[in-house]
Parts: sequence; structure tokens; C-alpha cells
Amino acid sequence: MHPIIRLVNRNLTISINPGFLIWQVIFPLIYIFVAGFAYTSLIQQVPFGSKSLDYPSFLASGMIGFNIMNSTLVSGIIIWNDRRHGMFEQIMSGPFTRAHYILSNIATIGIVGLVSASLIALVGYPVFFESVDFTFITIPVIVFAAIAGSVLFGSIASIISTRLRSSEGFNVIINTVFLFFAFVSTAFYPAEGAPEPLKTFFYLNPLTYLVDIIRAGIFGNITEFVIVEMIILASLSSVLFVVATKLLTRLDF
Amino acid sequence: MSCIEGKNLSKSYGSMKAVDDIVLSVKSGQVFGFLGPNGAGKSTTIKLLTTLVSPSEGSLTILGIDAIKHPLAIRHKIGVVLQQPSYEPTLTVEKSLEKYGMMWNVSKNECKKRMEVLLRDFDLIDIRKKRNEDLSIGQRRRVQVAREFMHDMELLFLDEPTVGLDPSARRKLLDFLKNKVKTGLTIFYTTHNLSEAEYLCDEIAIIDKGRILTVDSPDALKKRFGKEKTIKIHLLEKQPIVVSLLSRIPECVVDLDNGTTITIHSEQSELVLLQVLKILSENKIEIEDLSAVPTNLEEIFLKVVRDNASNN
Repeated sequence: MHPIIRLVNRNLTISINPGFLIWQVIFPLIYIFVAGFAYTSLIQQVPFGSKSLDYPSFLASGMIGFNIMNSTLVSGIIIWNDRRHGMFEQIMSGPFTRAHYILSNIATIGIVGLVSASLIALVGYPVFFESVDFTFITIPVIVFAAIAGSVLFGSIASIISTRLRSSEGFNVIINTVFLFFAFVSTAFYPAEGAPEPLKTFFYLNPLTYLVDIIRAGIFGNITEFVIVEMIILASLSSVLFVVATKLLTRLDF
Repeated sequence: MSCIEGKNLSKSYGSMKAVDDIVLSVKSGQVFGFLGPNGAGKSTTIKLLTTLVSPSEGSLTILGIDAIKHPLAIRHKIGVVLQQPSYEPTLTVEKSLEKYGMMWNVSKNECKKRMEVLLRDFDLIDIRKKRNEDLSIGQRRRVQVAREFMHDMELLFLDEPTVGLDPSARRKLLDFLKNKVKTGLTIFYTTHNLSEAEYLCDEIAIIDKGRILTVDSPDALKKRFGKEKTIKIHLLEKQPIVVSLLSRIPECVVDLDNGTTITIHSEQSELVLLQVLKILSENKIEIEDLSAVPTNLEEIFLKVVRDNASNN
């Protein structure tokens, strides 16, 4: 078996426990079925391209991106735990290179991100199935977004984990950063109609691009703007991936 | 045949030289002990030898492979138990062993077989279902050492593996290692515990301030440095005056530990002892107990490190 596959196997074993899986499903379910339907009295329809979506559909599609982001925290947690509990040094003294370690983390994030996206798509399907407009083009777009988004948020979590050693510091920073990403994005509400400064912040946030692309894929609304968003997401992912790799390569023992 | 050959190895961190121009040669099939006080450079040397860090200067060959050019090839053939604990908190003991074997590409069946043997040899059967985060320090250390034997290796680096182990677990581990050496394994062993080194090691190097001070077998070290003997005299009462009284005796070093225990180091211990007893008797100082301490590795270690410090 290739060293990267062996490390991915190990990463998945240590990071996916029943608690994590339940959280990954329950948390978005609460959002979709409680918040989604509760807010329907306030927000009946959300304009989306040429379509008009009901709020639960809009929210359920946003939750896919949100869940991808949340699940990629796994990457940061793996690196942080490995450093804290001596496993990083142990692995590096074994039959692995730093490249193996980094790539295995990226592969883990990709798998977790894709599974997570599929899970929410499955759970949310009854909510948004009426508006779904899948084609041969839109499905690869969703997969692309899931992978690029996973790499992007996984890289951010990795960068944070390489800079911090204390659990308090790691938790505070991760929660603050990811809270900003979650709520200053189009995951829960549309950018259209938001105050201009907030709208600007929405588009400084990579989760907005991820969510927009996934929504466009699900509801078959791939416009030029979405293509620009895809380019931005891919570029950001690449840059952050390079930064995370450099920082991991420089980690001292 | 040598399995570790290091020539003029140095490792600097900024202006600080953690390892300073050391020469190492470790023969296959033996336990090589690496002793030194805290901060002497033991762990940095292990990190160099296990290819975790690259040397700033010098050349290094491990198992006939150039460590600077082909570190990965070396890491396929060695096992490493580092000084700090390393574990996956959420995994159970048996899952830790199983996954570690998998990481080393050991087949699933073989993993299961080895796991059962190691659980038995390291007294881990009762805690096999416990998660690592729930183990005591000693149990975790046992798992960490046991885990390394899930894969095959030619050379094993053990950096203070008995830290946190109780005396019985410690002795069991040392005997387990002795048996492994009989099957051809070479062990590079660092420890603070000198009786352990004496029990286990075929050859010993003493390192201080990044430099190797001496390398030899325990017996040869005793012959070389064991001329000096130690005599301990326990007085009935505190007698601070004793040091000045005994300072008249030539060729001996006298320590008065707590006012009642006199420790005398001398190469001519019998002669010195007669003089000490004479002086104590003349001054009516009563003795509670007297003992001659045989030369052991601890005395040698302290002497070598002390001499090095005074030379510097």
C-alpha cells in the first residue's frame, strides 16, 4: 500500500468517531429543518438567478458548503493533535516524508469534505428537490467546489495548527475564524439586499464563493459570475495550500 | 560490521552547538548506551541518527546508507521510540498497535499476530480496550515501546524508554530488549539510569556539552576509571569541622554532604581510610557506620562529567 494511502487510513481512523459523525449530520439538520422552516414566515422566497427559491431550499444548499468547511477542521485538528501528542515526530521518523504527510492530510480533507457534502445533499434533498436542476456540467462543478473548498479550509486550519501549540489558543482562533466565515457569508442569507459594507465582507469570505458555486451547481444556474467565483476559489485554495505546505515543511522537531 | 558510522558530526542551532564534532561507531548486534546529563546533546544526537534533523557538518552512515542523501531509505529499516510520549488519544491500545503496524505496511493477519504477542509481552492485555488518553504515564510508555515492535527493523533507537515505568516493568522491558538483541537487533539506548545501562549495554558512550567524552564497554570503563574508590562514613553527630581536619590528607577529595556523611574519593582508599580514622579518633568524633562503595557506572559517569566540567 502506498504511504499516502496508509496515512489517510490512519487519519480517517483517528478523526472519524461516532460523535463527529453525529455532529456532522445533526448540526446541519437542525439548521435546515428548524431554522429553515422557522424563518419561512419571515423569508418566503429568495431570488436566485432566474429562479425563486424557498428559504429551506436556499439554506439546505448553503449548509452543504458550511458543512464542508466544518468538516475540514479535521485537518487542523489532526495536525494539531499530532504535534501535541508527539505523533508528528513519530511519523516523520518512520517510512514517510513530509510530502506524504501533507498530501495525506489533503486527501483526508477531500474525502471528508466530499462525504460530508454528499451527506447533507442527501439529507437536504427532500427540502430542495423541487428546484434541483442537475446536468452533466453541474455535477462536476459541485464536486470541484467540494474539493477546492475542502483544500482551502483545510489549509486554513492547517496554517492555524502549525502556528499554535496551546489547546486554548487553537480553539479560540479556530472558532473565531470559522464563526466569521459561517455568518459573514451567503450560507444563511443572500448577498442581494444586504447592506453594502456587509455585502463587501461577504465577498472577502471564501465560504461565500464555495456556497455560491454549490448552489449554482444544484439549481443549474452557472453564470459568468459563478465561473469567476470558481477561478477565485481555485486560486485561493492553491495559494493557501502552498502556504500551509511551506509552514508544515518548516515545522521543527 | 558497524551499523552506525558518524564522523565529525555537528549540529548547531544558531550560535549554540548542540552536538559538537562527535565520532560514533556502533557495531551491529549490540546495545550501545548513550549517557549524559540533561541537555548534554543526547536527544539531538538521536534526532541526527534517526534522520529527523540533518547535521550541520560531518558525515553519517546508518546501516551502510548515507543518512544525508537517503534518509527515507534508512527510516524504512529503523525503529524509533522518542523521549516524549507519542500516542493517538482516541485510539484504544489494541487499535494503536494495529494501526501502527498498518502504517508500516505490515499485513492485517501479521498485525493481529504480532499485536497479541506484544499485548502479552508488555502486560497490556487488561488494558487492550482502554483508550490511550485514559492510560497512566507508565502504561502509555509501555504501549509506545510495544508499538515499535509491530514492524521489522534492523536498528532500534530508544530514547529513555523506561521513564515512568515501575521497577518490575522496567526489568521486564530490559529483558525483552536483551532477547531481541540475541535475534540480531542493534539497539541505540539513551538513559539517565546508569544501573540500566550497566545491565543492558555492551558499549557505552558518555556525552556532555555536545561532545563525546569516552566510549568503552562497562567493564573497560570500570578498569579505566575505577581506580578511584569511594568510602562513606556516617558520623553520629553533625561535625562541620571534619572537612578542615581531613583536608590535610593528600590525594583525596572529601565531601561532607549533610554534616554527618563524609564521602571520600581516592585512588589509595585503604591508606586514606587509615588516616581518616586516626584523625577522627584523635578528635573524639564518633562514627555510626562506615562503607566502601564498589566502583559502579554511576561513579564513573559522575567522575567523567565532573572532570570534563573542571577541564572546561
